[in-house]
Amino acid sequence: MIALLKDVPRWLIYAALVATALALVPLALIARARVVTSSEPRVHLIHDMDHQPKFKAQAENPLFADGRAMRPHPRGVVPAGSAGAEEGFATGRRGGIWLASLPVPVTAELLRRGEERYNIYCSPCHGLAGYGDGPIAVRADALQEGTWTPPSSLHTELVRSRPDGHLYNTIANGIRNMPAYGPQLPVADRWAIVAHVRVLQFSQGATMDDVPVELRGQLAR
Amino acid sequence: MKSDAEPGRFVFPAWTNLIRPALAIVLVTLPAYLVALVWLGGSPKTTDVGYRPEQPVPFSHALHAGQLGMDCRYCHTTVERAAFAAIPPTQTCMNCHKQVRANSPRLLTVRESYASGLPIPWVKVHDLPDYAYFNHSAHLRAGVGCASCHGRVDTMEVVQQVHTLSMGWCLDCHRNPDPHLRPPELVTVMDWVAPGDPAEHGRRLREAAGINPSVDCWTCHR
Ligand code: HEC
Ligand code: HEC
Ligand code: HEC
Ligand code: HEC
Ligand code: HEC
Ligand code: HEC
Repeated sequence: MIALLKDVPRWLIYAALVATALALVPLALIARARVVTSSEPRVHLIHDMDHQPKFKAQAENPLFADGRAMRPHPRGVVPAGSAGAEEGFATGRRGGIWLASLPVPVTAELLRRGEERYNIYCSPCHGLAGYGDGPIAVRADALQEGTWTPPSSLHTELVRSRPDGHLYNTIANGIRNMPAYGPQLPVADRWAIVAHVRVLQFSQGATMDDVPVELRGQLAR
Repeated sequence: MKSDAEPGRFVFPAWTNLIRPALAIVLVTLPAYLVALVWLGGSPKTTDVGYRPEQPVPFSHALHAGQLGMDCRYCHTTVERAAFAAIPPTQTCMNCHKQVRANSPRLLTVRESYASGLPIPWVKVHDLPDYAYFNHSAHLRAGVGCASCHGRVDTMEVVQQVHTLSMGWCLDCHRNPDPHLRPPELVTVMDWVAPGDPAEHGRRLREAAGINPSVDCWTCHR
């Protein structure tokens, strides 16, 4: 049988070889598609119900001039639940005067939440301990940006003496060159952060007298 | 080719006897080949993974989330409380970029968007079909880290899709979530590794928190 092979016309052998080689091309393309990235979205051969005539969050809507399907809040609108029962919960101010203390009960849960939120939203600039030495501040210093205002240390006399309501307002609406964090933080979280700022101030100004007697030995070492 | 048959009459040359075994080989390999082609070519590993659209601003997660160590939630603020992980509004970028690199040409689009109030047209990378309903908050509460589904975003200059997001992929984890679970407060830590065996560590977390991902169709289809 093998002997017969040499009688097969040359063109037929070449055709078979070319066909086999061509058949490998799609496989090679597939292998390539699996390792390289592509800036083209996948092809939807069968659309099924992949793209329905509805708007998902942050989708585009050509009916509005700004193209947003999610409409921005009209000015002055307060989201449901963020006004709070107590006066000053959402503003930090009661009768034009800054609240001196938190309008929410201080619990271990609140402090944990405050620490977590502070580390996410404030520590990039103010640093984990509040000395104004966060990674962004360090990088901006290294870049020698003329436009950069160093973030305040939270341990100055001025910030220590600020009423809680004023700190709340700093977070919600920003102060001087510090941007407002109201758009990123729900009201309850802002108060939790105020509590954590107080924790930081207390811990950085703590003396040996503040440490429980039975734990002092560990610190002395 | 000479043959001893009568002149004028065509006789198949001897090599044509090879056609039959050749045909047999083709009939076996061709269907296998076609199946392999559709299987491999149509697999979401080929079509979906590695999608990396060009974005309107050269924003780098490797810089912001990696080098500068920013937490994912600084920008993707809704991820813990909503189904959707919000892409940050221009205001969020301007928190810093009003002062840092305030004149960089690479940030021109951002400044224009801030001035005009029009959104930056970011291109969506991960996009499920509209009939599948995903929910971020349910996963983060249970302690599935961003890295389990999005890969090491903190090393990406440009975000790309690293998992298929196919139904099989969802179900693989819903049937056996253990190796992917971690304490819920660590979901945004990108380089977290389980102490010891991930499956064993996850099993204890799952039992403690009563986590039981559903595989009922209506969980993801409504
Ligand atoms: C983008 C960097 C940045 C971030 C993030 C940031 N701040 Fe600031 N913060 C500043 C700068 C800059 C100042 C100083 C403003 C000035 O003096 O013009 C400041 C000042 C302050 C002050 C002092 C205000 C006063 O009474 O004088 C407080 C308190 C403060 N920030 C709290 C916070 C808290 C709480 C957060 C987290 C929600 C936060 N900051 C996040 C940059 C930042
Ligand atoms: C400084 C703000 C910022 C931080 C911090 C940030 N992101 Fe993003 N992220 C963005 C922006 C803006 C986009 C949209 C542009 C893009 O896709 O690159 C995005 C897009 C994404 C996408 C793709 C979304 C899509 O379209 O499918 C994922 C996934 C993502 N981010 C995950 C993360 C994770 C995980 C972290 C934490 C390690 C993180 N991000 C931190 C701003 C941020
Ligand atoms: C918490 C502060 C912070 C936020 C918020 C932030 N960035 Fe940045 N970004 C920086 C810093 C700091 C640098 C400069 C790092 C360097 O060049 O070393 C930078 C650099 C950049 C660069 C490179 C600029 C250049 O000229 O090389 C781009 C582009 C950029 N950011 C886009 C964005 C976008 C888009 C957003 C909003 C989704 C954003 N950034 C939010 C801090 C921030
Ligand atoms: C269980 C898997 C999973 C986890 C964990 C996860 N994501 Fe996602 N993410 C997805 C899927 C699936 C989509 C696509 C959703 C869609 O198209 O409806 C997505 C989409 C996104 C988007 C685009 C906007 C959107 O919601 O469609 C961003 C941004 C994002 N994820 C960020 C994050 C961040 C940040 C984390 C961690 C805090 C995270 N994701 C954790 C699976 C996950
Ligand atoms: C890496 C693991 C993992 C992957 C991948 C994953 N999930 Fe989940 N999913 C979970 C866990 C864990 C829970 C929480 C179950 C619980 O709380 O009991 C969950 C819960 C859910 C819920 C909420 C169910 C409820 O009870 O409300 C939905 C919806 C969901 N997943 C959809 C999806 C979809 C759609 C995908 C694929 C795009 C997906 N998941 C991929 C692990 C995963
Ligand atoms: C954990 C979430 C999840 C569960 C549970 C689930 N699905 Fe899906 N399903 C998905 C996702 C995500 C897709 C879209 C996959 C893709 O990207 O093509 C999908 C796609 C589909 C499709 C369309 C396939 C196509 O390509 O056209 C069908 C049909 C389907 N699912 C049926 C079911 C049925 C029936 C069940 C119950 C046995 C079920 N699904 C349970 C997540 C889920």
